[in-house]
Amino acid sequence: MRYYIRKLAFYVVALWAALTLNFFIPRLMPGNPVDTLMARLQQRGGSVDPSVRRAYELLLGTDTQQPLWDQYVAYLGNLVRGDLGISVSVFPTPASEVIFQSLPWTIVLVGIATLMSFALGIVLGTVVGWKRGTWLDSLVPATTVLAAVPYFWLALILVAVFGSALRWFPLLGGYDVVFDPGWNAEFVQSAIFHGTLPALTIVISSVGGWLLGMRNMMVSAMSEDYILTARAKGLRNSRIMTHYAARNAVLPSVAGFAISLGFVVSGSILTEQVFSYPGIGGKLLQAVQNNDYALMQGIFLVITVAVLGANLVVDLLYGLIDPRTRAGQ
Amino acid sequence: MTNLSPATTEAADGTEADPAAATGAPTPSGRPRSGLRSLVPSWSPKLAVGLGLVCAIALWGLLGPLFTGDPDTVRNISMTPPSGDFLLGTTQTGQDVLAQLAQATRGSLQIGLLVGVLATMLSAFFGIIGGYVGGAVDEGFSLLSNVMLVIPGLPLVIVIAGFVPADQRGWWTIAIVLAITGWAASSRVLRAQTLSLRNRDYVAAAKVAGEKPWRVVTVEILPNLLPLLASQFVFAVILAILSEAGLAFLGLGASNSSTLGTMLYYAQNGFALQRGAWWWFVPPGMIIALFGCGLALINFSIDEIINPKLRNVSKAGGGGRELIASGAVGAGANAGAGPAANAGAGDGGDSAAPAAAVPAGSGAEHVHADPVLTVRNLNVVYQVESPVHAVKDVSLTLGRGEILGLAGESGCGKTTLAYAINRLHRPPAEVTSGSVVLHDREGDDIDVLGLASEELRSFRWSKLSMVFQGAMNALNPVISVHAQLDDVLTTHRPEMSRAARRERCTEVLRLVGVDPRRLDSYPHELSGGMRQRVMIAMALLLDPQVMIMDEPTTALDVVVQRGILREILRFRDELGFAVVFITHDLPLLLELSDRIAVMREGEVVEYAAAEELHRQPRHPYTRQLLDSFPSLTGERGSFIRTGEDRDREPADGPRTGGPRADSPHTDSPRTESPRIDSSHTDSARTGGAAAAGITDGPGAEQHPNERAPR
Repeated sequence: MRYYIRKLAFYVVALWAALTLNFFIPRLMPGNPVDTLMARLQQRGGSVDPSVRRAYELLLGTDTQQPLWDQYVAYLGNLVRGDLGISVSVFPTPASEVIFQSLPWTIVLVGIATLMSFALGIVLGTVVGWKRGTWLDSLVPATTVLAAVPYFWLALILVAVFGSALRWFPLLGGYDVVFDPGWNAEFVQSAIFHGTLPALTIVISSVGGWLLGMRNMMVSAMSEDYILTARAKGLRNSRIMTHYAARNAVLPSVAGFAISLGFVVSGSILTEQVFSYPGIGGKLLQAVQNNDYALMQGIFLVITVAVLGANLVVDLLYGLIDPRTRAGQ
Repeated sequence: MTNLSPATTEAADGTEADPAAATGAPTPSGRPRSGLRSLVPSWSPKLAVGLGLVCAIALWGLLGPLFTGDPDTVRNISMTPPSGDFLLGTTQTGQDVLAQLAQATRGSLQIGLLVGVLATMLSAFFGIIGGYVGGAVDEGFSLLSNVMLVIPGLPLVIVIAGFVPADQRGWWTIAIVLAITGWAASSRVLRAQTLSLRNRDYVAAAKVAGEKPWRVVTVEILPNLLPLLASQFVFAVILAILSEAGLAFLGLGASNSSTLGTMLYYAQNGFALQRGAWWWFVPPGMIIALFGCGLALINFSIDEIINPKLRNVSKAGGGGRELIASGAVGAGANAGAGPAANAGAGDGGDSAAPAAAVPAGSGAEHVHADPVLTVRNLNVVYQVESPVHAVKDVSLTLGRGEILGLAGESGCGKTTLAYAINRLHRPPAEVTSGSVVLHDREGDDIDVLGLASEELRSFRWSKLSMVFQGAMNALNPVISVHAQLDDVLTTHRPEMSRAARRERCTEVLRLVGVDPRRLDSYPHELSGGMRQRVMIAMALLLDPQVMIMDEPTTALDVVVQRGILREILRFRDELGFAVVFITHDLPLLLELSDRIAVMREGEVVEYAAAEELHRQPRHPYTRQLLDSFPSLTGERGSFIRTGEDRDREPADGPRTGGPRADSPHTDSPRTESPRIDSSHTDSARTGGAAAAGITDGPGAEQHPNERAPR
């Protein structure tokens, strides 16, 4: 029980740290977001009288007349109510609404792609580790090349080949605009079709890491005594590989899977930029480009909360696959 | 320690790698490396290619800009394909791609190097200091690094970059932001490794000697972390270059400098791919990929230093014992082996004093009348650079129901021989000649060395089962005892029903004196003695004709050891299987076995009935072995500890390991791992704690039965 309380306490602290970071970044950075916004407005020939300035300050929550502490309390209060402010780039939609529209796209695309890549990497890593010393070993350096390729570069080349040249897949977008978003067969089919190439690029670029990690752990696990016992027991090789070697070797990868979720969301920003995918990463970029601070903070927050939540779930489930963490804690 | 993932606790022991840095799997090497030589990766094609790529690209970034002319010169030749004038063609605005590439490479390397240095320094600071100091500092530091780890990096960088006005966004800013968001994962790896180093004997020795903390860290710990630091540095450089490229591609890169990322950004905005100008788009990505690949290949070589298990199989050398038992050694269990092993062994030696305990009626003629296992001229060679002839021309005959003792010092080949009998030896070990024949109860003779793989599989355990030393590691830690017993039955007796299988599992557990309710426990929930009993129960499952026991009791305290030995004798009488009992403990064998084979350097130097060997040892080595146990003279006086229950175990004598420690035959360091059953935590396994636990054991334990699990 103490184990779970500690875990939960950690997540509360992490969440608080993220919230606070989110609050202080705009305030600690050189330059004032309001100034930047005003400058942009001026460039476009807009009016820059003090009332506009005041309006922006209120909008961004960077009211300099309030003490910092009061601002912080007000910020936390707003978050509790789910009020993330008004998006400037999609004025006057609330930032939370923009986020809710785009979030499912990212979760489905990136979620499925990540799970696929994890599963594929684990399976391949198991086999490569098991068949150590055969030609399969050469797969290992090969996958590092893939892992070292800049993700967006690979994605763009795949788009150029499979999208532009071969026309197998659509170039961009999350669905065919002729359909209305909704739960109907045509739309879902179109969404899957559009999501294939982005998902493929995510899998290709991230599978190598899982493969390498799993393979190394397999090699370590295979020299353990319980493998020898299993062989002496006359078990079938397939069973030794899965229930003895891989079962033990996969543990760090599962723990790593939780951590990697953070990197996954970061990867999705580039994916969505390359494919103009209607997900949250694209929105974050749009917010950055348009100095939409409310949206930027809101999205960062949602991403952080999602990563923390996913970590928490994996953490709690970890006890199921490693009995040693269940007991004695 | 507030962990993100339970894996960290394992990583502290070094047995499991931190996945967050798949390229940096730490495994303690067991003893301090001395000299820089061991820190230099051994030469391999991978390393050569990696170094070649990295050096070539670094040189290109360093010197290229000097030769390629001005990258910013705008010409009116838009997007010309590669030609003699412009080796890589021109951009949309007629700039020389090659010149741009040279400058951009320099920019990217600059950022990568800076971030690598900064991130490694940060992670070293938080990881090493936290791990070494421990306590509240460690709690705070690891909380910080865990929080940094779960807060997603790139979105944070993007948000920060978004708030920094473009004109103030120099490459320094980007580098610092990347370093701050990128140090956490490697800090965790370093912390775990520092924790395990901190508990090593030589660090403790330095502390006792009064060295100042900073000196302990820099002189004792840091050199051992160097390979790990190097690997983390390399990893940080790759990550930084990739992240910077991603940021620049999004238009958020350094505004005043040119990197491969910004080059790709311009290429993309100039629709290079859409307009077929691959020469503009492909080279920057290739440079990044090749550089990253080069660094990754170098990292492979560094990894092999950190984790010797990853080395090429064919390169593994050394004695046979070490090769097969590498799992146990790698698990960090070898620390403090000497005194503990001796303490256990010394007791066994004394216990054999009354030679009358040797079972009678084990004359050679009797055995040969009904043999169950015949080994003829067996030779096992480790095919390494200078082949090691681990088993030389060994011939043994095991009678039905006989206990054959196989004695000899560590590394004499006894385990190799035992494994070869069951064909469990792995490359580079190879049976070069000889035969192993099992005379089945049903009357068939089974040529073990000639079995096809599927026949061998079904032969194993059903005819010949094994009990390994150190059940701590011989049981699979993540599946229950029941599942591990059950899979023997599902594999070998597919016709048995679920209920019948459970019935049989219960039965064997009861036989060895383990409460059948323990069936659903996991190995870590059992004490060491109980685990060894579970192993024996497992070996009994299929009613085998031969059981090979490889030091089954070495790791246990003497009381538990005694109880288990008694039961082995009882099973042998009741179930009638034959036992090959391997140990370095000759006096124990004198008491236990019918006949004894003494091995030395791969050869059986003496093979005789136990009593005969005790009374008239023929080979000088046997005599030497026997003489090395002072208690055999029967003089027990000064070694006896007060307060021991002498009546219950009449053979139990003095328990000090002292005399044995400098006995003449222990010329090689023991590899037997002391595994104590007092705890399954990592800390108890390291250092002097293990030895203390065992030497204190006999006095404290009054009952031979197992204690409850903790």
